[in-house]
Amino acid sequence: MASSAIKSGALVTLPELNPSSQFFEEGASLRVTGKLQEYSVETAIAIIADGSAILKIDTQHLRDLSFRVGSIYQFIGELHIQLDNEAILRARVGRNVDGLDLNLYHQSLQLLRQFKADHMSGTTT
Amino acid sequence: MEHSPPKSLQNTHVKLLAFDLLSLTPTPDPTTFSRFGKLLLSRVEILGTITSRDYKPNKFLKFTIDDGTGSVPCLLWLNHLNSPYFSRRDPPTVRLIANVAAGFAAQIKIGVVCRLRGKIGSYRGEVQVTVSDIVIEKDPNVEVLHWLDCVRLARKCYDVVSNLN
Repeated sequence: MASSAIKSGALVTLPELNPSSQFFEEGASLRVTGKLQEYSVETAIAIIADGSAILKIDTQHLRDLSFRVGSIYQFIGELHIQLDNEAILRARVGRNVDGLDLNLYHQSLQLLRQFKADHMSGTTT
Repeated sequence: MEHSPPKSLQNTHVKLLAFDLLSLTPTPDPTTFSRFGKLLLSRVEILGTITSRDYKPNKFLKFTIDDGTGSVPCLLWLNHLNSPYFSRRDPPTVRLIANVAAGFAAQIKIGVVCRLRGKIGSYRGEVQVTVSDIVIEKDPNVEVLHWLDCVRLARKCYDVVSNLN
């Protein structure tokens, strides 16, 4: 079935996305969240930030999404590592998530990962 | 050690994370799936971002929902007005069902967050959800709250029901 080839974007925070991270891999499907710092209409490149961590997002494939510096966005796409070891996410899905409780998001993400790890090892109780 | 028969939550739309749903295994009954061989399920409620859309007018809409733990293939039938299955039913009722389904299809767009309920099935060996109800979610926190609901229900309900003797 064609649609099953659509890979899930693994949940990752920008501070976790460094070269030593398991997520920092060419072609990795990721979901990232951050505040829009810059956006270039000419190149369709956005830069999002979470604390001091930043990530470039290639938004050329996105439609019907308006960009506002200072707003929070979430993107799903594939990571590409450039020659200088800088990463850029080629987004296939994007949305504005202004109002997202980032503290709740980060804490829940840790719980979710723990649950998934327990589930995979068969010890969910 | 004595094996107890699997428990059932078949009449419930069970909230599941995608990775949990995708790890269900088929049973001899094609409408029923097993969680760890201990709990039988037929219906599910999932929530996530729409990441693909394959629309065949008057036939079906196939799409995928990504909740960050997995991508779930979903199917919304749109063939009510030309399917022999519905030809014996009351035409106004069938038209109503067809209109509702068409309304759902119009709301399913890539990038929106959607909560859906449906029947668990399989297609070519993979779990697939046949959609019966859809709600588009606007609150950006709703996905996080769904994760927490799923984790709590799995730990406090599904696993507990599974382990009842």
